[in-house]
Amino acid sequence: MDNNQDSIFTRWIIGILRNRKAITGVVIIFLFIFLAALGPFITQDPTAFLSTPLSPPSWEHWLGTNGQGQDVLAQTISGARQTLLVGFTTGIMVVLIGALIGGISGYYSGRIDDFLSLLINVFLVMPGLPLMVILASWLPPGPATLTGVLVLTGWAWNARVIRSQMMTFRSRDFVSAAIVSGEHNIRIIVLEIMPRMLSLLASSFIGASIYAIGAQVGLEFLGLGDVSTVTWGTNLYWASNDMALLTGSWWNFVPTGLSIAIVSFALTLINFGIDEVTNPRLIAERVWREKIPIDTVVNGITPVVKDHE
Amino acid sequence: MNQSLNYLLRRLGFYFIAAWAALTLNFFIPRLMPGDPAAIIFARFRGKLKPEAINALRETFGLTDEPLLGQYWSYLKSILQGDLGISIAYFPEPVTNIISSALLWTIFLAGFSLIISFSLGTLLGTIIAWKRSGKLDSTLPPVLAFVGAFPYFWLAMVALYIFGFELSWFPLGHAYGDDVTPGFNMPFILSALYHAALPALTMILVSLGGWMLSMRNIMITTLGTDYISFAHAKGLSSRLIMLRYAARNAILPNFTGFGMALGFVLSGALLTEIIFSYPGQGYLLLQAVRAQDFPLMQGLFMTITFAVLAANWMVDIAVLFFDPRTRK
Amino acid sequence: MVAFGLIVFNGCKNKENQNARRGLIIFQESQISWVRNFNPLSPAGAARWPTSAGIYEPLFIYNSMSGEYVPWLALDYKWDKGNKVLEMLIRDGVKWSDGEPFSAEDVAFTFNVKRKHRALDTRDSWGYLKEVIAMSDTIVKFEFKRIYVPGFDALATQSIVAKHIWDKIDDPVKYSNPNPVGTGPYTEIIRFDSQLWELGKNPNYWQKGKPHINKLIFPTYPSNEQVTLALLSGNLDWAGAFIPAVDRVFVSKDTEHHKYWFPLTGHTTFLHTNTQDPILSDVRVRKAISYAIDRELVVKVGMYNYTEPAHVSGVSGPMSKWHSPYLNQREDWTVYDPVKANMLLNDAGFNKDETGLRHTQDGHLLEFDIIIVSGWSDWIRSAQVVSQNLKNVGIKAKVKTYDFGAWISRMQKGEFELAIGWAEKGTTPYALYRGMMSSEYLQPIGETADVNWHRFSVASADSLFREYERTSDQNEITEIIYKLQHLFIEHAPSVPLFAEPSWAECNTKYFKNFPSAENPYATLSPNYAPENLFVLVNVQNR
Repeated sequence: MDNNQDSIFTRWIIGILRNRKAITGVVIIFLFIFLAALGPFITQDPTAFLSTPLSPPSWEHWLGTNGQGQDVLAQTISGARQTLLVGFTTGIMVVLIGALIGGISGYYSGRIDDFLSLLINVFLVMPGLPLMVILASWLPPGPATLTGVLVLTGWAWNARVIRSQMMTFRSRDFVSAAIVSGEHNIRIIVLEIMPRMLSLLASSFIGASIYAIGAQVGLEFLGLGDVSTVTWGTNLYWASNDMALLTGSWWNFVPTGLSIAIVSFALTLINFGIDEVTNPRLIAERVWREKIPIDTVVNGITPVVKDHE
Repeated sequence: MNQSLNYLLRRLGFYFIAAWAALTLNFFIPRLMPGDPAAIIFARFRGKLKPEAINALRETFGLTDEPLLGQYWSYLKSILQGDLGISIAYFPEPVTNIISSALLWTIFLAGFSLIISFSLGTLLGTIIAWKRSGKLDSTLPPVLAFVGAFPYFWLAMVALYIFGFELSWFPLGHAYGDDVTPGFNMPFILSALYHAALPALTMILVSLGGWMLSMRNIMITTLGTDYISFAHAKGLSSRLIMLRYAARNAILPNFTGFGMALGFVLSGALLTEIIFSYPGQGYLLLQAVRAQDFPLMQGLFMTITFAVLAANWMVDIAVLFFDPRTRK
Repeated sequence: MVAFGLIVFNGCKNKENQNARRGLIIFQESQISWVRNFNPLSPAGAARWPTSAGIYEPLFIYNSMSGEYVPWLALDYKWDKGNKVLEMLIRDGVKWSDGEPFSAEDVAFTFNVKRKHRALDTRDSWGYLKEVIAMSDTIVKFEFKRIYVPGFDALATQSIVAKHIWDKIDDPVKYSNPNPVGTGPYTEIIRFDSQLWELGKNPNYWQKGKPHINKLIFPTYPSNEQVTLALLSGNLDWAGAFIPAVDRVFVSKDTEHHKYWFPLTGHTTFLHTNTQDPILSDVRVRKAISYAIDRELVVKVGMYNYTEPAHVSGVSGPMSKWHSPYLNQREDWTVYDPVKANMLLNDAGFNKDETGLRHTQDGHLLEFDIIIVSGWSDWIRSAQVVSQNLKNVGIKAKVKTYDFGAWISRMQKGEFELAIGWAEKGTTPYALYRGMMSSEYLQPIGETADVNWHRFSVASADSLFREYERTSDQNEITEIIYKLQHLFIEHAPSVPLFAEPSWAECNTKYFKNFPSAENPYATLSPNYAPENLFVLVNVQNR
């Protein structure tokens, strides 16, 4: 049994690492994390009111200064830290909670499932953004509040997805076999099923992180975060308060927006990669497409790889 | 038939429970928030108020000292009677009046964008999945995914600035022009569409990638199934196969997502409304929260929740209708 | 595709029509959609601007530029019987917009309806009034139950409503007055939609030939960005908005017509220090904090140099005439002097450790939160500068933002340490010092206090306040103010930060005769009712 689990896991990781999209995404993310961690050592103090406000990029300030005369490059790099931290933390927590509740609900049918599904569905149906706004404005501003609010409004979606996947697996042969041979349920869940759900869990994590980063930036833009900290969201909040676009100070607005886009896109790439690893058909057609010249692909007839699972 | 009715009734039961949970949450949250709305309003005035005046005002707003449970029951009762109370920030306007006009605009803008985004995205996804021509499939998804990776409000602000301010192609905000009168007349309708164009465009652009991609992936899965190969073997035209068989079955999972998105449409495209000065529900909610306007906040939250439930309910019915497998 | 093209084409066509200005386009209220309420007495302040001063009018208007009360619906006033009776002479020949004559009866009625429904008495006039009677068509008599000369302001600036209309209203508190009848220059509601409403001229206005402009137009602008966009593209004629880097953002787009004027109001924005806090209760600490602040930098970074550092008296600009001539430079703790700050802190027994931060004798760090309203970015930035300044003298200060509701609740309950906020305002500094030092408004922490958030009082000030309230003699008033000022300087109950400017922009492309620095017949900002009436009646078409 253990061998089986090991090889599933290792096979999966190798699959991911071989995938072009996933690797690109991972590299970009690590680059940002690296920069964010190094931040304080390589840039000027982002909070120091140094020079003329709203001055364009120059040798002294590579990305210019913002409305208060603070260095935009420093702000962009140090802004990454909290944004990414909150984003990934939320991602992990969402997946953990989702796996816990969704997994249990999907595995044990009957009353437990009924109750937990109800819980999931009720949370799913709660309007997220309004709830976030209300809670974020009530609680003291800061990363803890943001993480809490994001997790509270975001866990249900993943729980549902994990639950359906769990239900599918539950009815498979290998699980019945394990039950018959007397394995404990918990062991089955953790050792047999979870490894097979790696793709789902990983892409849930990525998806939740993307959502967390986006929603966080949105809330901070509205002024609901802690505006005296430096994060990507608060950078944009200040930029819009300082009328960055209207004064033509694009350097105030663009770098942070671009960074957010690149990070989200990189995460999406990783997700694409995971998709392809899980769904080999997607790779197969790309391979086929590359190998077969265009003119033979006539009338939409496509070589398609069958799924053997 | 009986089975599907059973299923629908069970779903309805679920929605009632969810509605009750939402209402209860709705009741407690504003009351847990710090700050007393009466005090906030007084703070706006220069002079100080003697205790009698404050209490008189409190009574006007219905901020009584009744025990919480008592307030809860009266709250539930008035909701069932359709009385959402009087707004504090817009005193003495009833909450229902304030919400109704905002609601219509939100539905118009966000619903309109969602429908176009979904249709266009699904169509594109189908085409891309079918025609494996390198150009579209290798450029469109990544480009759209990248565009969708930008924070929405960022794109909206840039779009507003470039197309509205610099180029003057589109108006700078509001739901309709100042020179038309609201009503069922052509100038008004055209003006409304013109004003919705840019906000809708930004919303469509950001969500297009998502719909397209999910449709494409599901299509690819569907195309691998046996009945498609069978259809090919029988010599059916590929256009027919694509539309009548593949797309029709692939659209179902996507459609459930649409249902949920439709519900969330009424969460108000909050950021869109702020940036484009669009008089919808989302911004109203933000204002209500800022003013600690309990009745308005509750009214908005309730409307949104009920709309989401209703949308899900309709999707359940639609799925049941379209998918013969559920009509066991 | 075709439909899309049609829509754009139609839009462009419509734009041409907008070039002929149909009325004065104004921004004063930030709303996403309009609610129809024109009740000037409404306690919630929910009426549309300019209801209280535009549709309705007061008896006198205080002109902050000249420092005088200008007669409006009243012509003159007189104190009698040892300042226990106030008589006002009411203007005659004034008509309501429905043609009915206006008289002293309406004035008396207005005050009496506030007595009947206490929720309307937002300035607590009936706390000192005994009776209000119309002695004739043109004389109104106010009888006081206790002598309170400063009460004049609330009485003079009260918007007067029509007895013949409001007599019939059962609940004036909840009444939204959708079709107002007023004496003001603009009373006719031409159009009212959720995103635009228009106000037309009063056909029976008492100032002949005025107002000059036919109508006022109010589109909705929910955010500062939208206001700025509208101003830049020349779609707004008059606004009271805060614009960062105003020369670059606004004026540069049309240097000939885009004008702004941010004159000081005379009042001050404070860094409030909660004097009930054990550390902040020491006056040396408060003065040290004040010495440590580089106000020039605060003004530059936080306020774009729109204003100037505060004066130690707490008033400035047009109220500088109240500066005491006995002021000694050495007493001025609002100059930037970190050396002195350090000295005072050392004296008070708070020593620095190796990291440069100060501790109390029993080892607690000197650490405070500065709380600000989220969204009030200029104050947030100012607080950030203050925080850095304080760090330099060893005090750790963290900036925390709260939504307005939560913030005001904390201020009123005294649940804060440091905060940036406003202070009491008035036509003389009496209101300011009363809010700063009077025991009458002192509330314990946890109880709601509408003023004196920093919870300070000094007994000698109380007797001075009583004296002030009893006199209407200008010389006596001045002397009392000087004395209060010296008490304030001695005790430093709160730290004045910078002078408060008013925000105002105008577009002279289609209209002229706005007030300006060259022509300061009133303040330009629409945010100070009822002074905006001066602008409304004097602005002209080009």
